[in-house]
Amino acid sequence: MNAEGVRSPTLFELRGISKEFPGVKALDDVSFEIRAGEVHTLVGENGAGKSTLMKVLCGAYRADRGSFFHHGRQVAIADPVDARKFGIAVIFQEFTLVPYLDIAKNIFLGREIRGPLPGLVDQRRIHAEAKRVLDAIGFDINPYIQVHKLGVAQQQMVEIAKALSQDARILVMDEPTAALSDRETELLFTMIGRLKTNGVAIVYISHRLAEVFALADRITVLRDGRKVATVLPAETTPDQLVALMVGRSVDTTYARPPRPHAGKVVLEVKGLGAPSGIANINLTVRAGEIVGLSGLVGSGRTEVARAIFGADRISSGEIRLFGERITGSTQDSTSRGMALIPENRKTQGLALARSVGDNVILAGLRKLFPSGIFAPGKAIQAARAIIAKLRIATPSVHRAVGTLSGGNQQKVVIGKWLNARARFFIFDEPTRGIDVGAKAEIFRLLDRLVHDGAAVLMISSEQIEIVHVCDRAYVMRSGRIVGELARDELTEANIVGLAVHR
Amino acid sequence: MSVRTAMPNLLARVPGVAIALIVLCTVFGLVSARFATPTNIANILVQSTILLLLALPMTLIIMTEGLDLSIGAVLTFASIILAVIVIATGSFALALSAALAAGLCFGLANGVLISVLGIPPFITTLGTLGIAQGLSLLVTDGQSVVGIPRSIESIYSGRLAGIPLPILIAALAYAVTHILLYHTRFGTYIFALGGNREALKIAGISVRGMLIGVYLFGGLMAGFAALLMTARLNSAHPTAGVGMEFDAIAAVAVGGTSFERGNGWLFGTLLGVLAVGVLRNGLNLLAVPSSAQVASIGALVIVALFIDGLRSEP
Repeated sequence: MNAEGVRSPTLFELRGISKEFPGVKALDDVSFEIRAGEVHTLVGENGAGKSTLMKVLCGAYRADRGSFFHHGRQVAIADPVDARKFGIAVIFQEFTLVPYLDIAKNIFLGREIRGPLPGLVDQRRIHAEAKRVLDAIGFDINPYIQVHKLGVAQQQMVEIAKALSQDARILVMDEPTAALSDRETELLFTMIGRLKTNGVAIVYISHRLAEVFALADRITVLRDGRKVATVLPAETTPDQLVALMVGRSVDTTYARPPRPHAGKVVLEVKGLGAPSGIANINLTVRAGEIVGLSGLVGSGRTEVARAIFGADRISSGEIRLFGERITGSTQDSTSRGMALIPENRKTQGLALARSVGDNVILAGLRKLFPSGIFAPGKAIQAARAIIAKLRIATPSVHRAVGTLSGGNQQKVVIGKWLNARARFFIFDEPTRGIDVGAKAEIFRLLDRLVHDGAAVLMISSEQIEIVHVCDRAYVMRSGRIVGELARDELTEANIVGLAVHR
Repeated sequence: MSVRTAMPNLLARVPGVAIALIVLCTVFGLVSARFATPTNIANILVQSTILLLLALPMTLIIMTEGLDLSIGAVLTFASIILAVIVIATGSFALALSAALAAGLCFGLANGVLISVLGIPPFITTLGTLGIAQGLSLLVTDGQSVVGIPRSIESIYSGRLAGIPLPILIAALAYAVTHILLYHTRFGTYIFALGGNREALKIAGISVRGMLIGVYLFGGLMAGFAALLMTARLNSAHPTAGVGMEFDAIAAVAVGGTSFERGNGWLFGTLLGVLAVGVLRNGLNLLAVPSSAQVASIGALVIVALFIDGLRSEP
């Protein structure tokens, strides 16, 4: 929009920012320009320095070198208060909302309107003021509703309202659509459009290239703490962008090596129904193949995975694993070699504070130590073997999992089940929040699994992933499987056609 | 699922603690002729006041994902300070100030240890429980402190406009705590301390200061509770408050305040205190030994939370 011709004036500028952490140069001479009414997207692999740059901008980190200019005048940002003074607000990925306070009190947290006596809060004014802010962004909701009752997208709207109520002129959004459905994403984009019209500048961090191209007025690419380029969306392609991000020319997509022919049936599901809202599910997965389970968010994919795994109760149908009927408990399915790698690895798949070693051997403890007596030496040995096999980038087995990157955390979850000698894997959104380079590596890992004769059922919201990784795919809509696509029918158009068709 | 859908809509919205309270009153009313008399009901209310003074700050503390195990022992210690000083000097004002100061000191110690040194609340307050209890025994040599002026006793037995003084004090304490929690900045930050501490930091609020404030409030209220306790017993006993932290935590839990995410409900705590009070009173009327009463309070916690659990999301 601002590609040529009329360019809005620069609102804020970072020039020559460097930031070093012990042993790492997180930012190296990075310059970044923010213009009113413009969406400036920031892309780069994990560890490229996006978060550090944003933390410098919002005052959470202090730059070692470099300067800031507000409306062309040099200023200093030493702490978050300074940043707020210049109208900079961050919409954090992990929301900064308090669940059991209402919307209005959340919006004005720390800036309560004083009541008649010291310490008192003027409830009526706070709620009226909140309503005004919510109206301004077109979010029609009662400000007395407690935040924990809201969905993720609504909470994000509250976050945005909170930022704008602080007179934010620059909104930083870090992966805002990570937890949103397609419809909610659309709402967010509409709102971003409205904010732009009002002259708000938006810095948008995303891994999803489709979003980047849909929203960006300008795109800045970071790699290894350096700015690689600032490009206009009209003058670049996704492939070029990825090449800039990874520093070498690669396929956006992952080149699939030839697969062995599918072997014996590993999983057979017949007429499966569950109270969680799925009905009449029939599917098979064979040894040596990756089968996709596609559909829109909320179509019942995760519910199918949980029912097969025994995590949810089923109401009808049967599940056979290696020809034997399983009873529907997680103990039964794991002991027979099934593994579920859940969507939310932080809360469901990992003990973040524990070491990499502790995590990878967790699911296999029974097989590793049948007597029940723990031998630390043997455990570390087993953990090291897995770390080497999956090429998990960690300084040591003792490092806490929470400190690793998203891609490496995902590998730890996979390693956990490898060690438990699982033969059938269900992956629920294995690449969520993982950068492009790590994605390819996760897919290579999946490939290795099926080469070794395992079977994989993969859930993904990104159709392109299903198309490039899977041998076959089932498409779900409203809790039912509405179609099966063989390898030669597997295209994004076919998937989407089935997923949304009425 | 089936229980939820089978439950009538209105009943489904009544919290577990209210149901437990109604059931308790009905059962005791049917079993004991002495239960549903005006005298006995007034008794229950007066006897619940000390517990309420402890359960109110306990609600706030638990909302911050904290705990105060020391509150009963601090009450005891403050009560002994009160008795000793009033006997020594004859000054009620001085004695009360000293008792409140003792409570505040322990509250400050709890708050500083937890927020500045980062010692978990459970451990910190277990430690201060031991210290307060030990000091009480040390000061009194294990004996009761007797001989305090009659005037103090009247704080517990006296009436104003026909209403027992302890009830007035408790009502005032409830009102103050309600305003504190729902109408002040401090109260708003209590929700945030348990619900999202990061949000507070980003908003530029001192998490440490707020935490210290919450535990100070606990100490202060323990000081006031000590006044009622001393007046009630007309003396100070080094074991008077033993186990009161259990009742207070139980009342908060019964009242539906969660130990996570800053999910608290002050009125629920009031109902929880009454439920505990009714249960103790009813069992007393039925001559059930006090050891069995403790067990029954434990059961009450589980039942009330079970009723709530039936309705919460699966």
